[in-house]
Amino acid sequence: MTREEMFVFIDAILEQASVPDVLAKLTEQRLATVRFGQNRITQNVDTFERRLRLTLGDGERQAVYSTHRIDMDAIPSIIDSAMEMLETASPDPEYMPPVDAGQVYPIVEKWDAETAEANPDDRTGAVAAAIETAERNSMEASGITGVSIDTTVLGTSTGNLGFHRSTSAFLRLTMDRGEGSSYRSINSVAWRDLPVGNTIEEVAQEAETDMNQLDLEPGSYKLILEPQAVADLVPYIAWSLNARQADEGLTAFTGRQGEKVTGDLFTMSSMVNGILKGVPFNEEGLAAEDAVWIENGVLINQPCQRYWAKKTDREPLFIPETLAIEGGEGSTVDLIKSVDGRALLFRRFWYIRFVDQKEFSLTGMTRDGVFLVENGRIVHPVKDFRWNWKPLDLFNGIEILGSAVRKGQISVPPMVISETVLG
Amino acid sequence: MIEEMRGFAAEIIEQLQHRGVDYGDVRVENVDLESIAFRKQRLAETELQANQGIGIRVLVNGCWGFASCSGFETGLIEKTVERAVDVAKSGSSATSGMVKLSIEKPETGHYDGPCAQNPFEIPRTEKMDLLASSANIIHSSPLISMSWSYLWFERRRRVFGNTEGTMVSSDLTFSQPLLMAYAVHNDDMQSRSLQDGARIAGWEWIEEVDMIAWAEKAREEAIMKVKAPEGPSGIMDLVLDGTNLSLTMHESVGHPTESDRVLGWEANMAGRTFLNISDQEHLKYGSSIVNFIADNTLPYGVASWGWDDDGVPGQKWYTIKNGIFQEFGSVRETALLVDRQHSRGCCRAMDFACFPIHRQPNFYLEPGTEQVTPDDLISEVEKGVFIEGRGSFSIDQRRINFQFGGDMFWEIRNGKKIQPLKKVIYRSKTRDFWGSCDGISDKRFFRSMGLLTCGKGEPVQSARMTHGASVSRFRDIEVGRGAE
Repeated sequence: MTREEMFVFIDAILEQASVPDVLAKLTEQRLATVRFGQNRITQNVDTFERRLRLTLGDGERQAVYSTHRIDMDAIPSIIDSAMEMLETASPDPEYMPPVDAGQVYPIVEKWDAETAEANPDDRTGAVAAAIETAERNSMEASGITGVSIDTTVLGTSTGNLGFHRSTSAFLRLTMDRGEGSSYRSINSVAWRDLPVGNTIEEVAQEAETDMNQLDLEPGSYKLILEPQAVADLVPYIAWSLNARQADEGLTAFTGRQGEKVTGDLFTMSSMVNGILKGVPFNEEGLAAEDAVWIENGVLINQPCQRYWAKKTDREPLFIPETLAIEGGEGSTVDLIKSVDGRALLFRRFWYIRFVDQKEFSLTGMTRDGVFLVENGRIVHPVKDFRWNWKPLDLFNGIEILGSAVRKGQISVPPMVISETVLG
Repeated sequence: MIEEMRGFAAEIIEQLQHRGVDYGDVRVENVDLESIAFRKQRLAETELQANQGIGIRVLVNGCWGFASCSGFETGLIEKTVERAVDVAKSGSSATSGMVKLSIEKPETGHYDGPCAQNPFEIPRTEKMDLLASSANIIHSSPLISMSWSYLWFERRRRVFGNTEGTMVSSDLTFSQPLLMAYAVHNDDMQSRSLQDGARIAGWEWIEEVDMIAWAEKAREEAIMKVKAPEGPSGIMDLVLDGTNLSLTMHESVGHPTESDRVLGWEANMAGRTFLNISDQEHLKYGSSIVNFIADNTLPYGVASWGWDDDGVPGQKWYTIKNGIFQEFGSVRETALLVDRQHSRGCCRAMDFACFPIHRQPNFYLEPGTEQVTPDDLISEVEKGVFIEGRGSFSIDQRRINFQFGGDMFWEIRNGKKIQPLKKVIYRSKTRDFWGSCDGISDKRFFRSMGLLTCGKGEPVQSARMTHGASVSRFRDIEVGRGAE
């Protein structure tokens, strides 16, 4: 549908719904990807989905109806189905009407017209290059590359109307030599900005250096986390931040707003329209805002939905699909050179899970590269091992931050963390 | 509805044949989904979804192309056929096509999953009353800080057809109840959940589970747990129930025995496996009493779809027999590559919009053949822990080194359960763990878990499968607290 057709459809829903409170969201997504493994294409995909999500409320109760059956003639039956759900819903003591009129949605430019064309030869060409490099180096390439093209139109019965569209191009690549491997994830708004060729070569070189791994010797090490390793940990902090869950005693952040929760060098924020591009509104049509969550280790803000915000006298706030960990200067290589004594360099973590939500302890594995570093240089690769850490304690020990780089929707720096006992 | 969907499929197959693809298949799906969630004693969300769409997969010069569209709009369907062929051609011009499917007999027919009482015909008020009553029971103690009470139903009508003459359909109803109680005490929080999961069944599954009784149990055991001492550390014996073992076997048996992992097709995401193709039929995986049966004919099993997304019928086979690894599961594309002539029917997509990949079948640990109770197993444990339900879980990408928690823990001393515990985790390596199994109770103590959220593939797809076990005993396992 064109932008105008999507607006007309949402307007018609809002007009024909016979209840006071209406929230309608129409989305389109085209996702075109090529997946590869064992130096062959295993999937080559071009999908398209159009969905309507309609929330109706009568002042006491609300219900949601979602459908793929979308055309103007279907609107009466869509509204009937949603009404039937509403009539059987029980009253909601936390009922909230749609967001107030006059939401000002930031303009987020996250669109590249050429990328939106989703030329399949771009993707298969990138995969062919990865496979060729892998074969030349006696490796196996696996991964996925593709583009996502998303459009959202949202309307509320209070008079808000929002539009957002985005493109995203990405490559996630593993080069594997049996014992040794390396991995990289890159993404950008435009396909042409993806450094595909350089990434393929770099990952192949890194996999080469991961051969002949030795067991981890138990002991005390400084930890050097590459940006991907930091990006693997950060979402667990974001998921634990919710204000209501903290107030109900369920998380490590209970009663800690305004308090020091981790180290001075840890600052986490979100920008709607910074280097990373977020979303201009959330599922409810609430306008997105920039926010600082943790500043120099102090818990400043917590995401909070509207009902709980009103009850606890806060402003409603949500993570606008971007997170940024403040960095310093220098690359991972610079950080390695700066470390005296013994350290371990981590490329990536895998299968991270909560062990205990309240004490905020996590477990996980290392993957695709752990290296022993001595006096500023890599000595040899180390076999993967399991760790059990509390990330707030870990980030309490940050000694040096490098320059932040983009990893998906997170901006993260490499970092050096003080000595930790391992093994 | 099914006949109309078969009509769409037949038309698309005809279009694919006209376009001269080497192979083509189509999946037409219509999915109705109802979910009702209470957060504490409040209806937090009630949602109905009406999903439908078409996925088209083709082979051109040995390269796949796949395209999908939501809805059944004729114009969109024609473009979708075109897109599937276009991407396949693009792939075959850039790389060598290598796809070779196992030869399978064309199938025709229809399969209705078991459903005695259609949950979509149960009045919604009755469902809400059940959830409200459950929530009231859970919150009858002030120590309960939060809870979720949840019902989820899905009716999935699906048609699969291919250019080799297969045209099959299924009508499947899935039902899932869930309860989670969170107790807060002395600056700690612990939870207890109903975890039997989903079944291909109707409202009768909700009645069988007895959410009211479970609400009492979840409340009491969450409170018991939050007040309990922390678990011991060290090497000791474990006695594990079916809902705990369901997740352990899923991660340490189900994933390692997937054919796409041994081929390296998941190396970038879900990972590989420690197994080799040559390990089939001789590698010792567990003790001699360990038998794992894969079964996509298990009536209530959430992977029993009649036919998979290759059009291959559901099958039953030994994955591990008398402790020896027998064979990888497979799909048509991988069967020949793992030295099998035919697919085991493990090919499934999350929905019409996803490319189907190898997914775990339903599978379970075969119960002991002699009359043995859980108490018999516990009576022979000097020092250990009895664990029910699933908790924290993590395993390395080759599926060797794992760490699991649980949902309820009981200390065992001198052959008796003596007190509840909290914060217990166990660590082991896959073959060591299954090799340490020295007791499995009989089928009276079998308990299953229907999982709906197994994540794999890129873009990630959720898949569903059912696992189960009778209460079983494992000797000399490392037990400890996670953060230590």
